Amino acid sequence: MNNSTKIQHNSLSNSVLDSGLRSSLESDLKSDLESNQRSELEFDTKISFFEKIIKPILFLAATFSIVIVLLQLFFLFQQATGAFEYVSIKEFLIGTSWNPTEGPSFGALPLIVGTFLTTLGAMIIAVPIGILTAIFISEIAPIKLKKLLKFIVELLSGIPSVVYGFFGLIILTDWIRIILNRPTGQSWLAGSIILAIMALPTIISVSVNSLNAVPNEYREAALGLGANKWQTISKIILPAASSGILTAIILGIGRAIGETMAIMMVTGNTAIIPTPITNIFSPVRTVTATIGIEIPETAIGGAHYHILFALVVVLYVIIIVINSIAELLLEKFNKKCNNGKIKKESNKKINKKTNKKTKIISKKFNFWLKSNKKRMSKFLQYLFGLWLFSIWAGIWIGIIFIGIIFLNIRFYNFISSENQQKIAIAIIIGATLLVFAVLTIIIGFLIVNGISVISWDFLTRYPRDLGREGGIFPAIIGTLYLVAGAIVFAVPLGIASGLYLAEYTKPNRFTRLIHMSIDTLNGTPSIVFGLFGFVVFCIFTGWGKTLLAGQLTLGLMILPTIIRTTEQSILSVPQEICEGSYALGANKWYTEKKILIPSAAPGIITGIILGMGRAIGETAPIMFTAAVFNLRRLPKSLFSPVMALPYHLFLLTTTVPGGQDNAYGTALVLLVLVFILYGIATILQSKIDRNKKSFILR
Amino acid sequence: MSITKIKKSNEKFGQFIGSEFNVNENLSENQVIIQTKDLNLWYGDTHALMNVSMEIFKNRVTALIGPSGCGKSTLIRCFNRMNDVYDNVKIEGNIIYSNQNILAKEIQVTSLRKKIGMIFQKPNPFPMSIYDNVAYGPRIQKIKKKDQLDKIVKKSLKKAALWDEVKDRLDDSAMSFSGGQQQRLCIARALAIEPDVLLMDEPTSSLDPIATAKIEGLINDLKKKYTVMIVTHNMQQATRISDFTGFMYLGELVEFGTTKQIFENPLQELTQRYILGRFG
Ligand SMILES: Nc1ncnc2c1ncn2[C@@H]1O[C@H](COP(=O)(O)OP(=O)(O)OP(=O)(O)O)[C@@H](O)[C@H]1O
Ligand SMILES: [Mg+2]
Repeated sequence: MNNSTKIQHNSLSNSVLDSGLRSSLESDLKSDLESNQRSELEFDTKISFFEKIIKPILFLAATFSIVIVLLQLFFLFQQATGAFEYVSIKEFLIGTSWNPTEGPSFGALPLIVGTFLTTLGAMIIAVPIGILTAIFISEIAPIKLKKLLKFIVELLSGIPSVVYGFFGLIILTDWIRIILNRPTGQSWLAGSIILAIMALPTIISVSVNSLNAVPNEYREAALGLGANKWQTISKIILPAASSGILTAIILGIGRAIGETMAIMMVTGNTAIIPTPITNIFSPVRTVTATIGIEIPETAIGGAHYHILFALVVVLYVIIIVINSIAELLLEKFNKKCNNGKIKKESNKKINKKTNKKTKIISKKFNFWLKSNKKRMSKFLQYLFGLWLFSIWAGIWIGIIFIGIIFLNIRFYNFISSENQQKIAIAIIIGATLLVFAVLTIIIGFLIVNGISVISWDFLTRYPRDLGREGGIFPAIIGTLYLVAGAIVFAVPLGIASGLYLAEYTKPNRFTRLIHMSIDTLNGTPSIVFGLFGFVVFCIFTGWGKTLLAGQLTLGLMILPTIIRTTEQSILSVPQEICEGSYALGANKWYTEKKILIPSAAPGIITGIILGMGRAIGETAPIMFTAAVFNLRRLPKSLFSPVMALPYHLFLLTTTVPGGQDNAYGTALVLLVLVFILYGIATILQSKIDRNKKSFILR
Repeated sequence: MSITKIKKSNEKFGQFIGSEFNVNENLSENQVIIQTKDLNLWYGDTHALMNVSMEIFKNRVTALIGPSGCGKSTLIRCFNRMNDVYDNVKIEGNIIYSNQNILAKEIQVTSLRKKIGMIFQKPNPFPMSIYDNVAYGPRIQKIKKKDQLDKIVKKSLKKAALWDEVKDRLDDSAMSFSGGQQQRLCIARALAIEPDVLLMDEPTSSLDPIATAKIEGLINDLKKKYTVMIVTHNMQQATRISDFTGFMYLGELVEFGTTKQIFENPLQELTQRYILGRFG
């Protein structure tokens, strides 16, 4: 009995198969049926060997991060405990004299104060500018400008810290010296400005993300009630995003505290507490700078050495605490955004404000604006805003202005809401232009001064006369070796552990622990990586300064970036597509190999490239582990020391008088390499975004 | 005996006791291919399927209907153990297919799924070419030879009534096709591994009427060789394409019978109310 062939077609009027196709189908079906006659099926009962071992392998890769964090804690603490044989905790923490060679006295207070002051100054500058720029990017800028500005912020974050330091030492300190008429520009002020520039990208990008996370309904609701743009921003969006913005600031602080190379180059490095404490022109010395300067000079295992590690522990603990706070805040913020429980009250406030009558001051102000309006086009008004507010005073007016808005001080109500908006937007645009200006100034100076240095010879010759003459060939090659090694080490590990986190974990404590370790690694300052690498790969193993030690240290540093991007890009592949693969009888590993990893590849590659960009420019991790100054030949093996671009630039700038020209050239080469990588990453990212749109299934 | 005759005989002898459908006497022409016995399923503490017992007949189309959240998807996903992807799922009971309980732990889902294919609510082609999509399943089974794959791809696309539309564009990305074409591609992809049973979870709910008509026509042709089980929200669709229908409510299979009987002469009041659209 053969049912299928005998059954008549249910007469289905809308069947669209044409008769020709139907007959060909039928013959196909017949032949199929014949081959398909079998009674009982055999199901596999064994899991394939590979499927069995893949999970433990990935698991091992994922636990690697935990191991590294624990090792870091262990080694740093172990080295630091020796310190308190020589100095009491009290003397260490509140002693006001740091003099490791004469005396010796180890009071770390001036260093801690130095770190505190430079960070404070940096935040005073960077917080208002950062938030205002974030507002502009997220709320005001048209889409194309938005993309450009985001790219600019990325570039700012990609500039290696030694290049910032170089710019700060050569140009910024000079400006301070001449314009403000000081004997030297190397000061707290210079340190704060440089740190501010370096913390800006963090503050801006995290703030932009949290502003973007505010649901669009709030904007529509507020605008629907008749609020203007600025009222919507100040009354609805900023309060809604406030905890996200706070996170941005805290992360910015973390970035500033952990910064080493740049701060070391511009603060003068005198271990004193400024007198009076508000003297912004006083030189200072930070915790990180002390570590960076003194570790190479100290005898391993001595009092000084251990005490420096105690300093590292202080730094590490502060950073971990700061990052944990930021992490917690961010989690809360995300929850709040998902629940959408942002108070409705604020809507009422707007209504009241819009109805307030304008008073005398407002009238005057209005008149002033109107009379100007006749003469000035809109563009000129914005330029006027730039002129007025993109200088120091402008920033402060901005801070006070925003303070007033939040505190609801009376006279603010005298200004009509329309004019409030004009002022606010002018300030916001001013801040954004300032950020733009900073980038152009830095890049501009490097290009103008560096381009004439760069030549074929410069790129392919060995250095002569301590780098004043000749080229930077071994430094370029050394840097490429270092980055290549770091990638070879970090990429397989990072992808494996990202895959594990995305595909094999349940939301339990252990998964949280892995995530926490990765976050900790991500927030660990590069100088701490440097010291860890030094202790483990140079001293513990007995290798000394070697290429391999540098590669491993850099690899550890970029590992969290690669893990995170891998995890996120795999998670963003739609679940339906994986199910489609499973439904065809594919096992987990096959699905990962054929569907997940290829779909996530552009994202993963972006992560790798960003990691490379970071590895190229980092100085602190290789300073103690791999890099030397003047090499006559290329490294022979993994166990020889190397030259590296950022370290070369650092020493040319700080220790070789007359090395400035070649320093410009080196900085430009470094910058170009980093920017090329960032450019590729940005292009890839925009491709991914486009792909995602076609991924959204119809 | 033709299906129309079977249906007629059903009307004569139809005896339905609860959700049990007495097959042997009434439908001796129908061969049971899958049988579930007292199937219970929990998502954590949610009891999503309660004592479901039913038979699926070979070379017939079986439709599952019922209000949203009643467990249709959950049930259909039991047959290829797709619920295994969630880790809070607990299943009790048996599903007998080819004389084996396919819920048994030692049975590897991969080999089960080669016999019981699935089409999803949203078309989910892989982000690769049409050809690679269809060849995906055979390649899992280590079929690597180009001419063999070519043949399978062509045959499967023909069966899915898609060959004429895509034969010149086999290397184009599957993402560039329309929703209806993508869904037929997914059917072709499932057919390429020669399954016995096709599970379809609301396969037309994201498609326009014309694409829907094409898929329905296709299902009607497919049942000559395959057994089809389909979840649908659209009762007209169930009457148009299915031979048997099960009505589910709050995790229970309330009534199961020939489509004609369920829609013309439901035995349970709940079924009647649902079919007449009087459901609160
Ligand atoms: N992964 C899951 N975890 C927990 N509960 C689930 C899960 N999937 C489904 N449920 C619950 O099980 C019940 C049945 O869901 P199911 O998706 O099977 O319904 P359905 O009949 O397919 O509905 P619809 O017609 O809307 O697709 C629902 O109450 C649902 O909330
Ligand atoms: Mg469903």
